[in-house]
Amino acid sequence: MISQYAMIVDVSRCIGCNSCIVACKQENGITKGSGWLQVWRKELFRNHLNRYYNPQSCRHCAEPDCVAVCPVGAIHRSEDGLVIHNVERCIGCQVCVATCPHGGMKIMSNGKVGKCSLCNHLLQRGKEPACVSVCPVDARVFGEREVLIREAGLHMTNLISKGISVHLEGAEEKEQTMVLYLVKVVGL
Amino acid sequence: MGFYVRPQSLGINSKPLKQDENLRTSICCLCNGGCGLKVSLDQDGKVQAVFGDPDNPYNKGKICAKPMEIVQTLYGPYRVGYPMKKVNDKFERITWDEALELIAQKHNQHIKESGTGSIVGITSKIGGSYSKLAHSIFSELVGMANYGTGPICTDSEVNVRKKIFGNGSSSGPLSDVVRAKILLIVGNNCAQTKVGQFHWILEAKRQGTRVVVIDTRYTETAQVADRFIQIRPGTDGALGMALLKIIIENNLYDQSFIAEHTNGFERLTQAVEPFTLERAADITGIPRNVIEELAQDLASRKPGMLFEGRGIVCVNNAGATIRAFEDLMAILGNVGKPGSGIISHINNHGNIKDLIREKDVVKPDRERSAEALYQAMEEGEIKMVFIAGNPCVNWPDSKRMTKAIQGLDFVVSHTLFLDDSAMLADVILPATHWLEEAGVQSSVHRVLQWKDQVAVIYAEARSGGDLFRQLAEHMGIATSYFPNSPETAWELERTHNKSIEGITMERMRRTPGGVHFPCSENGQEAERLYESGLFSTPSGKVELVENDIAIEYIDMFDSPGNQGVSSEKYPYLLSTNKVASHYHTICQYSNWAWEMEKPYVEIHPQTASEIGVMDGSPIRLETETSSIVLHARVTRTVPRGCLSTQPYFGTRSIYGLLPINSLFPVVADPVGGNLVSKNIMCNAKAEGGQGQ
Repeated sequence: MISQYAMIVDVSRCIGCNSCIVACKQENGITKGSGWLQVWRKELFRNHLNRYYNPQSCRHCAEPDCVAVCPVGAIHRSEDGLVIHNVERCIGCQVCVATCPHGGMKIMSNGKVGKCSLCNHLLQRGKEPACVSVCPVDARVFGEREVLIREAGLHMTNLISKGISVHLEGAEEKEQTMVLYLVKVVGL
Repeated sequence: MGFYVRPQSLGINSKPLKQDENLRTSICCLCNGGCGLKVSLDQDGKVQAVFGDPDNPYNKGKICAKPMEIVQTLYGPYRVGYPMKKVNDKFERITWDEALELIAQKHNQHIKESGTGSIVGITSKIGGSYSKLAHSIFSELVGMANYGTGPICTDSEVNVRKKIFGNGSSSGPLSDVVRAKILLIVGNNCAQTKVGQFHWILEAKRQGTRVVVIDTRYTETAQVADRFIQIRPGTDGALGMALLKIIIENNLYDQSFIAEHTNGFERLTQAVEPFTLERAADITGIPRNVIEELAQDLASRKPGMLFEGRGIVCVNNAGATIRAFEDLMAILGNVGKPGSGIISHINNHGNIKDLIREKDVVKPDRERSAEALYQAMEEGEIKMVFIAGNPCVNWPDSKRMTKAIQGLDFVVSHTLFLDDSAMLADVILPATHWLEEAGVQSSVHRVLQWKDQVAVIYAEARSGGDLFRQLAEHMGIATSYFPNSPETAWELERTHNKSIEGITMERMRRTPGGVHFPCSENGQEAERLYESGLFSTPSGKVELVENDIAIEYIDMFDSPGNQGVSSEKYPYLLSTNKVASHYHTICQYSNWAWEMEKPYVEIHPQTASEIGVMDGSPIRLETETSSIVLHARVTRTVPRGCLSTQPYFGTRSIYGLLPINSLFPVVADPVGGNLVSKNIMCNAKAEGGQGQ
């Protein structure tokens, strides 16, 4: 079962201002030198310069690899679809970090692992995650899954009509995630 | 084998914020974007978190990292809490009364012995509207000349625009972009410098505004533009003049606007005559058809707006460039209509008039340009400086500035942080942060917004508003002119300034997003300037000519700072560019800012291989002025031969790094007067180890 809510990260919109990272650190009181969210600057040069910013955090998969590999059962998937990490159980073996295909598990400054909670405490109060509420370009949007996927479809059609190939990661049955990524497909 | 415990891992490294239903509303006072904020306080009234205000119609809850970083700077180790006096090179805590008495005594002594010109203020961070008013009253009463943000940021833009339109402020609000058909962004990375308000530009783009970005670097703003035109550094003026020529020659200009509202069109036509497409393409490196197409776009898409940035203001040939682009908007008739005009973060609502009786006004007995300030300090003509800012980091030739300030008889620093400049002071006064002071904040949308005091004042900090009144008292000057609170200050300002007469505190409070100015007493707010077609120049018209000159393009290499510099010795160009995580030097005391942005110099892969460096390796940057070492960030964002870094950081900060401004000579744009922090000839070489 996947949650009726979802978040879409639209990589084509990100301007690399790092607001989301700092909002995440503030909201979740993350210690200095650690973080659950990263934004990577990518540059590709083929016929012309293609530079984009690639945000990276836990995608809350429907079938998470991290849950499967954790030797102490510190990670579980809740009924509402969130992948939750229990820091007290975590032994810092970091196997999940190596396994996660999305780079969502982060090594923290205390040697343990940390990950995005999708600001569960805010969701329970009916609010959106901290990174979503600050994002100045709506590269991060939270809402009802169906609505978001429909809107992303329109946006994609628009982008494709301009000759930009895009792909929505996490929408298909096999690889469902709660945090979906709208990514540009950079051709060779 | 038993269990073992890693002691470090026992710590919990995350702790979500507690729910706070009692958030306070404020306005961010960092970049003049004017973003609405919601602030969470702890039980002692200290700031514990900052969020965007979703009810503010301008930023709609969106903010950049800077206001969030405040929490760490406010209560961090660099914050100054008490007045201090330097005794044998060490700071000793004193009382406010002792500090004020000492300053008053020195101030009076120097005025008596060496005249009012022997004391100047370097005051780019004076505080909110209350402090600004008290500071201007104080300066008028004692004859103190001040150097604010102008010389390092806005002078050229303000001065040139004032000559053309009669007012140095922006002529239209940023929110007007959704009504524009084309938005021309020149030398401005607003995606990083006006982050919280950038969604207006994206919204405009969605609604069909064509966004054209002209820049030397492939900026984040360029990344989202409909068209990015990469230009050779310092040649924007030539592009502007070529566009003018095409538009004039093909009769694409607004003929009735020119006939009714401008002076000097003939001279402008002559001035741009030599700027043929061939010549412009040759100078700027932009293909001819791209220039032609841009001219056609500008002519056919009306109304249009212009958003200039520091990329064409803080350069050594700024005057001609700003004039070319603003004249362009004028001859296209893109002024005074919805969706047209010039957007800027310069939003002066005018000065107070007739507050101080003529007999009480003291004029400084000497006038100096920002350039001449250095020499006057070095030669002992200036004895005392009042600092509210960080000139040892954000003014050019930082080492020279530091030395000049060290040589003075008496230095006062009213400051938030123990920064590079405060370290040189004889007396340090703790300043309030803008979250600790009520007042009015202007924004890029030409609105004034009221903010209440949100946080409890830190230790013994005092606002400039209180400081200048109390200092006047200690100096034996009548204090009756001074307001005693932010509220009375605004009332005083409002009643002595026609352009904001209708903007009462109550009105700002009850209007989400604030009130547009000018706003007369009968309450009519004007969203944009010149809607009546009457300009603020003496003639009431747009002045396309000044002193018989329309525009005079001077090559960047023949302009101050580069003129006569050997291109063999200094083959590259050095510029500074702002990033989203910092604002001037005041965010660098935050760990988050430090984690987000470390100092680096952007360098093109070919230039990097020329000098034998790889990504991350140290580079020594040299100009005629000085040299420093920074790590390379190899990127195609910058063109070959151009190096670019951030204008922040100081030796007294988390970074502990000599500021990049050390490398810039003390030179100003001859037309507008702005000090230069871009396009200066430099050399770069690999530092240490391999590659040498």
